[in-house]
Amino acid sequence: MAAPLELSCWGGGWGLPSVHSESLVVMAYAKFSGAPLKVNVIDNTWRGSRGDVPVLTSEDNIVSQPAKILNFLRKQKYNADYELSAKQGADTLAYIALLEEKLLPAMLHTFWVESDNYFSVTKPWFASQIPFPLSLILPGRMSKGALNRILLTRGEPPLYHLREVEAQIYRDAKECLNLLSNRLGTSQFFFGDTPSTLDAYVFGFLAPLYKVPFPKVQLQEHLKQLSNLCRFCDDILNSYFRLSLEGISPAGQETVDANLQKLTQLVNKESNLIEKMDDNLRQSPQLPPRKLPTLKLTPADEESNSLQRLSP
Amino acid sequence: MSLVAEAFVSQIAAAEPWPENATLYQQLKGEQILLSDNAASLAVQAFLQMCNLPVKVVCRANAEYMSPSGKVPFIHVGNQVVSELGPIVQFVKAKGHSLSDGLDEVQKAEMKAYMELVNNMLLTAELYLQWCDEATVGEITHARYGSPYPWPLNHILAYQKQWEVKRKMKAIGWGNKTLDQVLEDVDQCCQALSQRLGTQPYFFNKQPTELDALVFGHLYTILTTQLTNDELSEKVKNYSNLLAFCRRIEQHYFEDRGKGSSSISLP
Repeated sequence: MAAPLELSCWGGGWGLPSVHSESLVVMAYAKFSGAPLKVNVIDNTWRGSRGDVPVLTSEDNIVSQPAKILNFLRKQKYNADYELSAKQGADTLAYIALLEEKLLPAMLHTFWVESDNYFSVTKPWFASQIPFPLSLILPGRMSKGALNRILLTRGEPPLYHLREVEAQIYRDAKECLNLLSNRLGTSQFFFGDTPSTLDAYVFGFLAPLYKVPFPKVQLQEHLKQLSNLCRFCDDILNSYFRLSLEGISPAGQETVDANLQKLTQLVNKESNLIEKMDDNLRQSPQLPPRKLPTLKLTPADEESNSLQRLSP
Repeated sequence: MSLVAEAFVSQIAAAEPWPENATLYQQLKGEQILLSDNAASLAVQAFLQMCNLPVKVVCRANAEYMSPSGKVPFIHVGNQVVSELGPIVQFVKAKGHSLSDGLDEVQKAEMKAYMELVNNMLLTAELYLQWCDEATVGEITHARYGSPYPWPLNHILAYQKQWEVKRKMKAIGWGNKTLDQVLEDVDQCCQALSQRLGTQPYFFNKQPTELDALVFGHLYTILTTQLTNDELSEKVKNYSNLLAFCRRIEQHYFEDRGKGSSSISLP
C-alpha cells in the first residue's frame, strides 16, 4: 500500500486539475478514496494518441483504462464504495453506462467535432501541451477518433451523416443531464454524504463541460441551468482539489462545512481568477502575499497562512 | 429523423388506435437470425405483449434492409414503420399505452440507466461473441447470416457485416478485449441486474416495464441459444433470481396467450 502510485494524464486549466474527462475521473476517485497519487502531466504523447491516457504506474504494474485503474485501486484497498449497499453498487454501474451512452457522444462533439469549439479552444490547448511536431498531428487525430466514435455508435449504416445524428445526440445528452439532476436532488453526493465511484465519474464528465469556456455552448448552457449539478461540481473542486493546490493532502475530508459552502457560492464567479492566481503563487513563491488577494476559507479550515482575506 | 418530423409522426400516431393487423418483421427464425437480433426482437415482442397489443411476427430474409434504421426488429403499424425498442416505446406511448407512467422521476431515471446498462454491456458482449470470436464466427455466424442468399453473396454480406461490427468495437474500446474479459463484463452486468431485481417479481415491483421486456429478451435468448460453448449462458445461470424472472415472464406472457413463439422451455 505504500508503493508509489504515479498517474500520467493530461494537465489542467480553467480551474480544473485536468481537462481530460477520464483523467479527471481517476484523480477524483483517488482523492475520494484517499489513495496517494503522484500526478505526472504528460508531454510525450505517443501514448496519448493511442488513447491510453490516463495511465497508472505502480512498481511493475501498468494499468490503462479508467475502469481498470479504479479496479486496481480497489484491490490495493483504496475503496470509496464499501459503504454502499449491493443495490447502490448496481445503480452505479447502470448510471455509468447511462453517462457513456448518452452524455459522452455530445461531449465528444462539443470538444472535438464542433468546428468553432475545436479550432478556438480544444486544439490550441492540446497543441500547447504537446511538443512540436506532434502538436500538428495529434489533435487532428484525436478529433477524427471522436468523430468516428460518434458516427459508428449513433449513425445509421450505410450512410454516415453527422447532421442527422447531431440533433439526436444533443437531445440525449440534455435528457441525461436532466436525469442526473433528478437523481441527485438536494443531497450532497449521489449516495448520501460520502462520495463514491459514481460521484467520481459524474464529476469527471461534467466538470470540463462546466468550466471550459466555449464559443458554441448549448450543452453548457443547459448544464448551467441545472443548479444542483453545478453546485456538485463546485463542491468537489473546492473541497478536494483546492486544498491540494495549497499543498495539503485532504486525507479524506468528507463533509463540506456549511460556512464554506455559503462562501463558495458567493464567490463562484471569481473562482477561475482565483485558481489562476493560485497557480502563479505556487510557481513563484517569492511574490509577497499581499499582492495576491485570494479567497480565505473560514478560519477553522484554513491552515496555510499564504492566503489572505478577499478584499471586497 | 429531425425533431420536426418526429413530432409530426407522433401526432399522426396519436390519431389512430392500434390496428389488428400490426406486424413485426425479423429475420428468418430457423436459419438466419443471430443471437443479438433475436434478443432485440424478443424484447419488442415481450413489450407489446405486456401492453396487451396484438402483433403478428413475420420472418423475412431481408428484414435488416427493410428497416428504416438498418436494425431489426421493426413494426409496421397502419402506415408507419418504426424500428428498435426505444422508438417503438415512444410510438406506443403516443398511442396512449405506456408501462412506465406510474414511475416517479427518480425511478424513470433508474429505468433508463439500467436499459443503457443492458445495451452497453449485454448487447455489445453478444455482438462481440458473434462477430469477433473466431470460433463462433466460423462455425455459426457466417453460415447463418448469409444462408438465404446464393454464393458468393452470402460470403460477401457476412464479411461486410463482420467488418462493420469490428470497426464499431474498435471505436468504443472493445477491440482489444479478450473473450474472458467480455465474459467478466457480462457477469458484472448480470450481477448488477440480479442485485437490482432482488426478490421482487419485476424490476419496479408489481408492474412490468420496458426494462423487464428488454432484460427478458436478452437473458432468455442467451439461455436458450446454442453456441459453440456454453460459457455465456453459464454466467447468467449463476443468478437464480434472473432465471426465475425469465420463467415468470415466459409463463405469464407467452404461454398463457397461446403464442408458440417461445415454445422451448427453459432448462
